[in-house]
Formats: sequence, C-alpha cells, structure tokens
Amino acid sequence: MTINGETHQGEVEPRLLLADFIRDRAGLTGTHLGCEHGVCGACTVELNGEPVRSCLMLAIQADGEELRTVEGLAKNLPEGQLHPLQQAFHEEHALQCGFCTPGFLMSLGPLLESDEDLSDDEIREALAGNLCRCTGYQNIVKAVKRARELVADGAPTA
Amino acid sequence: MSTAETYVGRSELRTEDLRFISGTGEYGADVNRDGQLYARVVRSDVPFGRLTGVDADAALARPGVVRVISSADLPDVRIPVRLFPEAEAQEVLQPPLASGTVRYVGEPVAVVVAEDPYVAEDAAEEILFEIEPLDPVLDTADAVADGAPVLHPDLGKNIVDQEEARFGEDVDQLASGADVVIRKRISVQRHGAVPMEPRVLVAEYDEDAGVISLWGAAKVKHFNRRCLAGLLGKEVEDVRLIECDVGGGFGARGEFYPEDFLIPWLAIELGRPVKWVEDRRENLIALNHSREQDWDIEVSASSDGTLLGYSVSGWFNQGGYCRTHGSVLLPRLVVNHFHGPYRWQGFVAQSGSVLTNKTPAGTYRGPGQYEGTFLRERTLDILAAELDMDPVELRRKNLISPDELPYLTGLPAIEDRSPFSYVEGDYPATFEAALERGDYESVRAEAARHREAGEHVGVGVAAFIEMGSPGPFEQSRIAIERDGSFTVHVGIASVGQGVQTVLAQVVADVLGVPIEKITISHHDTAVIPEGLGAFSSRATMFGGNAVAGASRELLAAAREAVAERLGVAADAVETSDGRVSAKSDGDSQEIALSDLHGLEAEYRYAPEAGGHIVVGANLAVAELDARTGEAKLTKMVVSYEIGKAINPMTLEGQIAGGAAQGIAGVMFEEFSYSEDGQPLSTSFMDYAMPTAAEIPDVDIVLLEFDQDDDDPMAGARGGGEGGIVGTGSAVANAIADALGAAGREITELPITPERIQALAMEVKQ
Repeated sequence: MTINGETHQGEVEPRLLLADFIRDRAGLTGTHLGCEHGVCGACTVELNGEPVRSCLMLAIQADGEELRTVEGLAKNLPEGQLHPLQQAFHEEHALQCGFCTPGFLMSLGPLLESDEDLSDDEIREALAGNLCRCTGYQNIVKAVKRARELVADGAPTA
Repeated sequence: MSTAETYVGRSELRTEDLRFISGTGEYGADVNRDGQLYARVVRSDVPFGRLTGVDADAALARPGVVRVISSADLPDVRIPVRLFPEAEAQEVLQPPLASGTVRYVGEPVAVVVAEDPYVAEDAAEEILFEIEPLDPVLDTADAVADGAPVLHPDLGKNIVDQEEARFGEDVDQLASGADVVIRKRISVQRHGAVPMEPRVLVAEYDEDAGVISLWGAAKVKHFNRRCLAGLLGKEVEDVRLIECDVGGGFGARGEFYPEDFLIPWLAIELGRPVKWVEDRRENLIALNHSREQDWDIEVSASSDGTLLGYSVSGWFNQGGYCRTHGSVLLPRLVVNHFHGPYRWQGFVAQSGSVLTNKTPAGTYRGPGQYEGTFLRERTLDILAAELDMDPVELRRKNLISPDELPYLTGLPAIEDRSPFSYVEGDYPATFEAALERGDYESVRAEAARHREAGEHVGVGVAAFIEMGSPGPFEQSRIAIERDGSFTVHVGIASVGQGVQTVLAQVVADVLGVPIEKITISHHDTAVIPEGLGAFSSRATMFGGNAVAGASRELLAAAREAVAERLGVAADAVETSDGRVSAKSDGDSQEIALSDLHGLEAEYRYAPEAGGHIVVGANLAVAELDARTGEAKLTKMVVSYEIGKAINPMTLEGQIAGGAAQGIAGVMFEEFSYSEDGQPLSTSFMDYAMPTAAEIPDVDIVLLEFDQDDDDPMAGARGGGEGGIVGTGSAVANAIADALGAAGREITELPITPERIQALAMEVKQ
C-alpha cells in the first residue's frame, strides 16, 4: 500500500489491523489507538481520500490502496508550512494532550472541502464521530471555522 | 525582568502543539525497546470468589508464549497508600495479582508474556481460573448492612476508617429551632477520568548497572519511583521512571496500579524488555473509578433564608480494595467541600469508605469538590423551593463577604485535621460575575415565559469553593547550555495541560530572554531527582514558583560570576533583558546571559502555607424535550477568581474542558453494573462520553487582580479543576428548575433522559 506517497510492502497475517500495520510496520506512530472499536476516532486515516477508522480495517483490506496519515498532511507543502487544519488547531488551542488530535485532523478533510455555509450546530454534528476528553470541543469548533476560512482564502491542503 | 512586553498574562500559543499536530509526539505506545516482549494481563471475570487455581497449560503450549505468572510467582507485596495511610486501609490493600480471593471484575489474576502482542492476547483467552463464586456486594447500603458478605476477613467489616467532624452549634438544636428543615438522600453515580490514551508501560532492565527503567509514568512519577523501589527491594537510585507524552490524566492516570509493579518485575525476571498496552475495555474496568457515594443530608434554615446547620452522613463506594488514595482522602474532600462559600452556625459530618465488589476508586478531577458542591447546591435549590425564594437570593443572603475574612469554618484540614479558615476571595463578586455574564434576570424571566407556554426551560446556578494547589514543595534547576539556550528541570508532570509553554513564559519573563530559548524538562527521574507532580491544580502554581525562583537564582549567580570576572563589586552588576551589565569607573560592560555557558542555579519552592482556596460560580440554562427526555444546554457560564492568569488561553482551555466533564457527570457518564456484579460500561458504546454535539460553548469569566509586576507568579492560583467543580451542580439545578415542582425529586446523578421523561410526565399530570 502507499502511505503518504511512499510504498510500504509486507507480508502480514490476515488478522493484522490496519492501524497496527501503520504504527508498527510503517513506523508512523502519529495514528493513535484510543478504543479499538470504532467509537473514539483517534485512529482515523484517509483511505483513497476518505476518512476511515484504521482500527476497524484489516491491513490486507488496504492492499494496493492509497493512505494518508497525519504525518502526510503537510508533506507536499513548502518546508515549515502547516496544513490549514494544523494551523487552525494550533492557533485556536484546539488540542491539549494531543492524543485525539490526529484523528480529528484526518476526519475533517470532507468538511474542509465543502464550501456550503455551516452553522455551529452542523459543525458540531460533523465532529461527533470523534471523542476528545480535554478541550470541551469549543476550540475545535473554532478551529474548524478558522481552517475553512484559510482554505477559502486559498491555503493549499495538499 | 524584561522591560519589554511580558510573556506572562499573554495567550502564548503552545510550544507542545507542533509535535502533536504533526504526529511526532511520543506517547507510551510509541516507545519500543530492542528484543521486547509483550504482556497481556488476564483479569477476573467474577466479581467475588475464592481463587483456587490458575491453569496455564494450554497458554504455555502456544508457540511464542514465554511465561505465564500468577500470584504464587510473586513476592508477597501490596500497593501502598500514597495519601493518608490510615490503619484500617492497611488491611485492605491490593496485591499485584489476586491472591486467594478475587474482589472485582477486572482484577489482575495472571499475566501472559509472549513474543507478539496478538499471541499474548490469544494465550490469555486460554488461561482458566478456578474460582468458587461468592455473593457479591455492590452498593454501600448493602455493604454496611448487618450480615453483609465481608470482602476482607482481615478487617472483618466493609467500612474503612469511619470519621466524624463537627463544629459550631449543635445541629439538632439548630434544626429544632429552625423554620424549615430539608432532609434528603442524595447520590452521585460511579464515573471517572477515562483519558483518551489508555495506559502503556515499557520496562527494561540493565542487569550490569542494576537499573530498571520504566516508560509510561505520569502524574506522580517520583512517588511511584520510591514505591516501585520499595516493592522490588531496590535502591531508589536504581529505579528510573520516564514520562512520555501523556494522553490525558484527570487524576486517575499515573497512580500506582498493579501493572506498575508487574511489568518491571517481569522485565527483571525475564531479562528482556516488556511492553504492556492497555486496551479500552481494560481501561474502563482497571483504571480507578470515582465519585460513587450516597449521603443523608439535613439542612436547617430560618424562614428568611438564613442558613443554620447541616448534617451530612454518608458512604464513599471504594470498590474492592483501597489503593493509593487510601480510605479517608475522598470522603474528607467531600465533607470539606459541602460547606462551600456560605455562613453556617454549625455542622456535623460522618463519613467512611465502604468496600464493594467493584473496581477500586480514586480521584477524578475535582475529587470531592464536585460531589460536595453538588450535594449542597442541589439541597439549597430544594430549600429555596420550600421557602418559595429565588435560589439566587438564598445564596446572596448566605455568601460570606470579604469583610468577614478570615472566616473560621471549623472544617478539619485534610492534612492535619486542624480547623481552618477561609482567608481570601470575593465570594459575592464572583457569584455576581456569573449572574451578570449569564444575564440572570432575563434568562429567568424567559424561562418563566416558556414554562407558562408548557415548555420545560430552567435556570440553575451554583457557587463553589475549591481547595487546591497543595505543597509541600517543588524544585527546579536551570542551566545555560552551550548553544545559549536555557534548560529548566522541574519536578512537576505534564498530563497534556500545556505546562511546558506556561512554565517557559514564567522563565522568559524572569530572565528577560525570548521564550524560544527555553526548554522545560520534567520527564525523567534520572535527571530530576525530586518532585511531587501534577494533581490538584498545582502544576502551574508550584512548577511556576519553582522555575521563577530558579531563574532568579540564576540571575544572582550571573551577577556574581560577572562581578568576579571583571573584578567589580557584585552590587555594581545588574541584569535586565537577558543581559548582565557592569559599571566601574564610568566604564560600562555588557555580557549576554546566554553567553555564560555552564552556569547553573537551583531553587526549592516550599511555602509555609501550601495550598489555597479558589472561589467560583456557575450559571446554566437547560431546555428539555419532554417527549424524548433529552436535555439541551443553551447557556453555560463559569466565573472563576484566578487572581492572575499566566496564560489565559490555556487556562480557559482547562476550564472549558473541566466544564465539559462536569456536564458529562450530570447527564451522561456512568460505570453501570449488573445486579450480579458484571460491569456493563466496558466500551465507548456503553460508557457515554459526550461528543461535540452534546457539549455547549462555555462562557468563562476570569477574575484577576492587579499584581506586583516583579514576580510573574504573584497572585496566581491554580486553575486545573475550576471548570468542573460547580458545573454539574448548575446543570442539575437547571434541569430540575425546568421540571418545576417535580424537579425537587432530582436527588441523584446522572439525570438520564428516562428520568427527565418520567418527571416531565408528573408535571403534565
């Protein structure tokens, strides 16, 4: 499979979780496991551009597919430049312990791409697939709005 | 001190963030050691029973399994009490692996070690326990009843270290002379910290040096180091604990658990590194639970709303063992926070921890503060209804005013049980600040209009005090590095709250250097020999004062060094803006502080009176859907007398996060058990942690005062828990208010949709 543009090959047991492949075989430990049953969203990665729970997929299901993890978010941007989501999460203090953060960042691609007006309630609904225990979410809502502004102003996302 | 703009008081963006948003943080699970093995803890699935055997034959036969241990393999040790080791608690301490008896579902009974984590998990499934089940006891009322099954025959009863406190006038006399007496049983449900990152431990033994290293420490690594050394029979110097990035703590993570002994013991025993990663199910049954308690409350008052006396008597549901928080800390915290910011003529409080066949309990953010405040603030609203008085007026009438300070409460101090006084804080002003921000009069009027229209809208308020930032000390060492940067070692811990940024702000201001030049080091007991840790809203307070002191010492050392180098008197040398300047005979010379490589200084912050009391208040507005029982919060205000906010952004982050947990405790979260003692909240499908869709925006009012500019820490108080303490109370009161007269029945948490639906039906009828 391709992860963040690099090919990762390996022979694995059929039961190996995609999350474990990403973390242990590819060495990309930014993808976190918070529940291993698909609720908390910390392990979210992009599979062919769509957010998926890497704890609910087997590595073999991603055979030949294209993945992006948090490490790849700013990979194609100029050195030192952050992805608009990263920038906004930093500026709006949308993270504390940071454990859930990669999952939020990797879940929000579709919301960032959509150019329809969204109310706070709609943003909150869209965020409801990820758990955060530190922030109380309000700064995450602010960060989403800020990131959407950055993108609307032309900030590159890839 | 810098003459430029200061860092303290500014919402400095966090230095921690870059690694977290780029995926390069290093949490426990990201640590790997060459040749490591993987441990899986095998836990009791029976709540109470005699353990007569562990059959590991099938597990051991599986390829890749290296070892299976049970209690017979271990030395006879118990996890000690960290805080207030009272006599009876010593009889009910937990062994690392169950020995002879299992006392809760989730209790470690065996450990499998294998070459691969999947194999370890497979093998764990094949281990068979021989357990003769006994009748479990789950609730405090059942556990204290005559003839109840006794969990620990050595103690001979289920109540551990019962205590009484009383002060002022006799409460029975106060009640008999009172116009109104409210008597209620009020209960708080079992819930807890549940950080997003499950626990992880990686242990490695250096046999030649005799040193055991353990990655995955948090919160109180120096206590845990001494504790582990004691249990392993090693010198403290031969035990090294390393804190990685920590995915949330909230009181529970970082305490010493059975695994904190088992994993390093196995690494020594097997001569190979051992890694253990907790899964979420384990986390929900093995990490300390908290909060479950039942109290009989009596409050007396005059018809004009003057509070007279209170009597509280209750039990804290401790679970199967006393662990590091012992038997008295949690009940004492509840008792001490029942009093709150009000005048009382007298009180009596009886409390005790009670053993049950549930997961052992410990602290969770705002321990006892949250519950004690809820018990009182809920009772006050019931009293206000009885008196037909505005709940706000009732509180205004009884809040202690600044001119009454110091106010002798008569509450026994947690540490030495001596009666203590409230000495600072403006209780009425903080209360009014929440009302003003929440626009109390108009939301109250609006709620009344909605209720007349048959809708369920309610307003709730709460006033609270929070005892925090305990001592006795924290220490710091600061060194000027070769590259001109400053490394600041300090004994606190980070659980994700942003201490690296906040402490760097303090150091940057004292030294007058850019914040980018400062590295805060708090991770490794090999580098930082002493420290207390991160709990009870103390990391910024004690860490900040320690690093500020070390920075001042460094400036003094710099002046001395420069005076000596230039051969001038020490008082002819000055430091400002990161520069050391010397004047002699009209000549002036200047050296950058950062050029004084190798210069070091140390400071130990150990104030005589450790700890302080912070005051706050809340306002909440709730709208209920009588059909579904759903409660929606449309307003949530927290006011908090912080004194000085070192970093308003991170402080508000702490308060908003705490408030969300406070709301969760009232409306959502519960560790439920079946009648036969099986835990039912063992996944995030069953433990209802709220999402962004359930938590409202929290409006925060920070009350600050003018402070002495020379000391960046002057006037600052702790802020880690202020968001949670009164939030639950205000939300519960708002929901109860929305239900009108039926709301008086709200005396236990959580307030579920089913409960709201049932009470809304009563209103209709």
